[in-house]
Amino acid sequence: MSTYWPWWAGAIGLALVTINHTLITDRSLGVSAAWDRVLHWRRERELERMDEEFADDQALAEALAVATAEHFGTGTGTGTGASTVPQEPYEKSQPLEANAESAASERPAATSLRPAPLVTQAALLMSIFLGGFIAAVASGRFHLRYDMGPGFRDLVTADSTTMVAMLFVGGVLVGFGTRLAGGCSSGHGLSGCGRLRPVSLVATAVFFGTAVAVSFLLWKVI
Amino acid sequence: MRTRGAILLANIITGLALGYTVTNIGFGDFAELNRMFTFQDLRMILSFAGAVAILVCAFALLRVRRTPGRIHAGVIPGAVLFGTGWAISGGCPAIPIIQVASGYLPALITIVGVIVGIRLCRWANARYFHLDRGSCGL
Repeated sequence: MSTYWPWWAGAIGLALVTINHTLITDRSLGVSAAWDRVLHWRRERELERMDEEFADDQALAEALAVATAEHFGTGTGTGTGASTVPQEPYEKSQPLEANAESAASERPAATSLRPAPLVTQAALLMSIFLGGFIAAVASGRFHLRYDMGPGFRDLVTADSTTMVAMLFVGGVLVGFGTRLAGGCSSGHGLSGCGRLRPVSLVATAVFFGTAVAVSFLLWKVI
Repeated sequence: MRTRGAILLANIITGLALGYTVTNIGFGDFAELNRMFTFQDLRMILSFAGAVAILVCAFALLRVRRTPGRIHAGVIPGAVLFGTGWAISGGCPAIPIIQVASGYLPALITIVGVIVGIRLCRWANARYFHLDRGSCGL
């Protein structure tokens, strides 16, 4: 008899977490995106500062109008209409460098919504740890261990050096893969599939399919 | 427009609830995960699929805004790498955190690997791939 929740309780739990997050924040849940932003906090903080600086669209349009008037020596530059602002230079100024791709790639959604503040993403990761700790202690499953349990020992390796190597390589593949695919099991799997986004349906099918194939190899072959 | 404080509070509640739920479903247990991927036990896969089914209905009823996303060149290779890493290490980006929280200290190595992988991806993408990867989470 499993001590874990039955499937329907798990389904309701995961769905409620995602729905609550979406409704309260008006944003998609994505743990790998939170990791990405927290790990590149310097760059993200700089982008946030730039965002705040240009948060007022009216002020931005006026500033551009003034700069344009000064550059071409026309008018007083006090016009507020966006029509006075030349579009091309502004658009060209967007993808300043390749490193800004994260922000640039999110631009379609961010036209009306900016990414959640960096500190809130760090809080999400820390809270996951705390929630997991509370669950493990409350259910009596918390034990400090220096291995990954009998399942890993039987299916992957019992040797501690090989275990370290496998966990590291697995982690690198997870980190690289989720960012290359643009999401993970929470972002693509729950939020994206829940919205029936084609990219998320494809990504989820591929990462689940691959995990099934590799797990069968571990179980039956290796 | 949500305030910074509201988003912070929401993310704390989400993190606590996600960590609690995922741990109680058994995603941090490598043996359970392997049983799910090899269809020996359908409990966890039904949890995930059931959650997606509820979300599809709930998002449609609540008319939740659809975030844009296109199938770019990085989706399939990225998902293949992720699936392989998930099956080997037992961790998607949230899982190693709850594995450590459950006392599996070697999962710290998985976290280090995830950090290296994410940084490596951003570096490699900026230098070689130049993919507009998109992102699910905002």
